[in-house]
Amino acid sequence: MNKIVLFFLKKYISSPKREWLRFDSVFMVIGIIISVATLTVALSIFEGYETVLKKTILGVNSHIYIFNASEGNLTSQDVEQIENKLQKHEGVENTSALIITPAMAANGNRIKGSIVRGIDWEQQELPSKYKKYVLEGSWKLDAENSAVLGYKLAKELDLKLGDTFKLISPMNSKVTPMGLKPKEETFSLVGLYRSGMYDYDSKFIFIDRNVMAEFNSMENEFTMVEVKMKPEWIERADYIAYVWEHEFDYQYQISSWIDFNSNLFALLKMEKWVIFIILSFLILIASFNVVSSVSTSIIEKRTELGILKAFGASDKILQKIFIGKTLILALLSVSFGQILGVLIAEFLSWQKFFVLKGEVYFLEEINVQFGYLSWIIILGVSMLIVFAAALIPLKNISKLNITNIIRKA
Amino acid sequence: MSLIRVENLKKSYNEASGKLEVLRGVDLEIQSGEMIAITGESGSGKSTLLHMMGMLDSYDSGNIYYSGKQINVKDKDLNGFRNKRIGFVFQSHYLLEDFTAEENVAMPKFLATKDFKKSVIDSRKLLKTLDLEDRRLHYPNQLSGGEQQRVAVARSLINSPEIIFADEPTGNLDSKHSDELINLLMDLNKKHGQTFVIATHNQEIANKMDRCFILENGILKETTK
Repeated sequence: MNKIVLFFLKKYISSPKREWLRFDSVFMVIGIIISVATLTVALSIFEGYETVLKKTILGVNSHIYIFNASEGNLTSQDVEQIENKLQKHEGVENTSALIITPAMAANGNRIKGSIVRGIDWEQQELPSKYKKYVLEGSWKLDAENSAVLGYKLAKELDLKLGDTFKLISPMNSKVTPMGLKPKEETFSLVGLYRSGMYDYDSKFIFIDRNVMAEFNSMENEFTMVEVKMKPEWIERADYIAYVWEHEFDYQYQISSWIDFNSNLFALLKMEKWVIFIILSFLILIASFNVVSSVSTSIIEKRTELGILKAFGASDKILQKIFIGKTLILALLSVSFGQILGVLIAEFLSWQKFFVLKGEVYFLEEINVQFGYLSWIIILGVSMLIVFAAALIPLKNISKLNITNIIRKA
Repeated sequence: MSLIRVENLKKSYNEASGKLEVLRGVDLEIQSGEMIAITGESGSGKSTLLHMMGMLDSYDSGNIYYSGKQINVKDKDLNGFRNKRIGFVFQSHYLLEDFTAEENVAMPKFLATKDFKKSVIDSRKLLKTLDLEDRRLHYPNQLSGGEQQRVAVARSLINSPEIIFADEPTGNLDSKHSDELINLLMDLNKKHGQTFVIATHNQEIANKMDRCFILENGILKETTK
């Protein structure tokens, strides 16, 4: 930077008069801080939401799902063939076959629709995290007809650990003289599952896979094989699924977590940018204060400017000094706004008075994350807007008439 | 060759009451090392003439030559020209409030060289010459009127300009400080051959100069006795 500009900026910062605390500068600073803080709060909540949602979806679900290509289920031979082949793949961490079926869970008069997952709970590591999310009771399904329920489902059915409930499956109805009688069986609640995803916590019931096969009359049949990929392969799951489909000669229908959720994440990304653009207008509005602050400063300092011009300072140098002063103030304001925004967002995630509607937003807790990229983008965009706003009144410097200034002063 | 030659300089202002002709064709030639006084009533155009000769203001017609070379107020590098070749002392000191006396004096040199250290060293030397060494770290509001004007003189001298235009330099000073300042300027002229053009109301000061002029009705007449 030009030595003259640097000297004036140092003087500006260390001046005992604290020029940046002038009335109009304070309004400029407050305007920038509020707008940047608002933008930061919105983006950090959005980013936090996106990250936690992705983490939860990937945590609860596996990464690749293999179904029978036709309408039927997978047989034991299919599962064996699939697992034998996939175990050799370097990107596969583990696989597991499971049975999934919709059913009604009932406790007295309370009845709720649910999704029952018959899992091989004894397997060391399951593709979809199960043990990790059983936060109360036991994840072991070794007792006869034991079940783990999503904590919201249990709450809606008014069930506590040790209580029993009925599982009713209309899929296996029996023809009786009284008409169709759905299959019923009593289960006892041994554990509560809490993933953070509203949909899963309010619908999932986990039971032992063999019990499920018996309950659903699916001996040696499985709904699908779940596959967990190693972390570096997760983002390529859709491509892997496509390749495997070809390798299995289209015998199976293979989908990935990306196929199921890509629209959601694309939408979130787009919404984040829309919010960013809309809230950037706040900074644009705050920049009006920058125009007024710089204009006032030029009017206040016109005598000094006139004298400096008389002694040989060029308009360019004087303009650079004003731009520098404005940018220093803006940099401090934007940084403070960002810190304030993160603190407000952290407070929002910490408080429990206001929570998200799980049935709408999937998650109930407000999560916060503020990445380096967002920090740089907000800083960059804000500084650019302030810079552009500061340029508007600067042309007045070149219009200053030295003799008029000297006469009037 | 004369240091400055002014030819048929004209300047007028458009006012509500009509066109006001301030300079109606001023001719003036100044040699290097001269001390010149320009007197005249208030509003006669003394400051206007000084500002135009100092390339601070534009003129309607006429020519100004510095060492034989025509200079125009619209020239691109006029800032640099003014900075290196011309010094100004105004009626009011016009020192920068946020800067100390030595920084104020160093400013024109710093603007020219971008070397702050060297500029301040030269500034200290000048302040010492003008007997203001102990005031070098004072801010303008901590100096007396006479001291402020002496600092302003030091500032005009820092780049060793060919000519210094002083517009009513004693206008805001009492008679004691006024005498001191004029003696200082004369001393600088004698010791260093510094050229001065001083606009003043004070005939006593004007009489001390090498040549005297009076500006009346837009015409400059020599009144040297």
